Amino acid sequence: METYRIFDSELEKLSQKVIQMCSQVNQQINNSLTALKDYDLNLAKKVIDKDKEINTLDVKIDRLCQKIFALQQPVARDLRYILSALKINNDLERVGDHAVNIAKRISPLEDYRQLVSELGVDQVSTEISVLFSYVLDVVKTHDLEYCQKIYHHSAIVKEGCLDIADRILNEMMEKSEVVVVASNILIIVNLFERIASYSNNIAESITFVVDGEIVKHRKNIE
Amino acid sequence: MIHEKIHTENMFLHYGSKLALNDISIQIPEKKVTAFIGPSGCGKSTFLRSLNRMNDLIDGVKIEGKILIDGINIYDNNIDVVTLRKKVGMVFQKSNPFAKSIYENVAYGPRINGVKDKKQLDEIVETALQNAAIWTEVKDRLGDSAMGLSGGQQQRLCIARTLAVNPEIVLMDEPASALDPLSTSKIEELIVQLKEKYTIVIVTHNMQQAARISDLTAFFYLGELIEFDKTKKIFTNPDKKQTEDYITGRFG
Repeated sequence: METYRIFDSELEKLSQKVIQMCSQVNQQINNSLTALKDYDLNLAKKVIDKDKEINTLDVKIDRLCQKIFALQQPVARDLRYILSALKINNDLERVGDHAVNIAKRISPLEDYRQLVSELGVDQVSTEISVLFSYVLDVVKTHDLEYCQKIYHHSAIVKEGCLDIADRILNEMMEKSEVVVVASNILIIVNLFERIASYSNNIAESITFVVDGEIVKHRKNIE
Repeated sequence: MIHEKIHTENMFLHYGSKLALNDISIQIPEKKVTAFIGPSGCGKSTFLRSLNRMNDLIDGVKIEGKILIDGINIYDNNIDVVTLRKKVGMVFQKSNPFAKSIYENVAYGPRINGVKDKKQLDEIVETALQNAAIWTEVKDRLGDSAMGLSGGQQQRLCIARTLAVNPEIVLMDEPASALDPLSTSKIEELIVQLKEKYTIVIVTHNMQQAARISDLTAFFYLGELIEFDKTKKIFTNPDKKQTEDYITGRFG
């Protein structure tokens, strides 16, 4: 026989806030990537301005977790969910920051849009959009099938980033005049790679909620 | 290797025609704290009381299966129940000191077990009170009535009285449920210390208490042992849905 717990409404509130956080960060990434692709500085500014909202939500989620820990002493799946909500929130906030960091680096690329395109940045951007749509799916549904998709697309993004980095180094060696802009692209690519890593972290956190299994660093532990 | 202190195998208990414990098989290790949790009427206290044959005092109780302590079936015909209860002491929910002095409460057990020498009794009383973490609070008033102690002190005195006959196992039936948080915390701290010398089995309705002090937790429901595992496992990732639902407050 299941009974309703006062605690359930708090958990539901937390769950809704985490989903809201993930949707907003997803939108930030997409806007940032669109701004990069279209060289849309207005959109880039919107991304930068919206970061405050993400940060406010980040603090709200932290406080709600703190309150639930203090007042409800969660155990078992409830405990795993709240622990994971804290970590996912932290990861999402970092991804939000990276969306902003990408947006801030768009303006110096004005005269080098062709170079950006030739390096394959657009393809990796598209992969990141797909990857993060799965992150949003897994946060909403806790369906672990999405985790496999996340790991798969994350690997593609990381590979793409390595490839771009190689090409940039070649460009820099051949044309000294592109060093400044190439360094900028290199930083953007590094942010892409970080977003892929945070996506993996989120998938691992959801696996912990559902299975109780700690899958992070598994290769290192085993 | 951890020694198995209590071992039950296919144990059934009936109160008249009512089945109260259904096929309980469990191995409880020595010098650990094992907590029994479960909703009211699930059989956890009945099972606890079976471990020193306290149920013998209730009419209509029928027990089948094996209950072994150190490999000996405690329901065998040749078992002396008084000796068994000396070895397997018990502390109850409500502190129940005798209306005697603090000293006499603790000396009572050893005295009826034949200790007459005053010096030896003094030593036993002091050791038991020290082991029950109440010595410093009562050492200057051992002749005062035990009834003048606070609830938490009375409960620790009862623990000292249990320890004075040198048991190997201490059964505790909700020993802190009637106490304020400070006294509860003293009892909990004491239980954790006691496991160095004794095997402790505790029934508690306070889930957080089970989580804080026990090494192993057994979840009982409707007379059955649903899950028995390390406390850390039970409270972070239990195997059974019923356990999960109970400890998270979804039913019970």
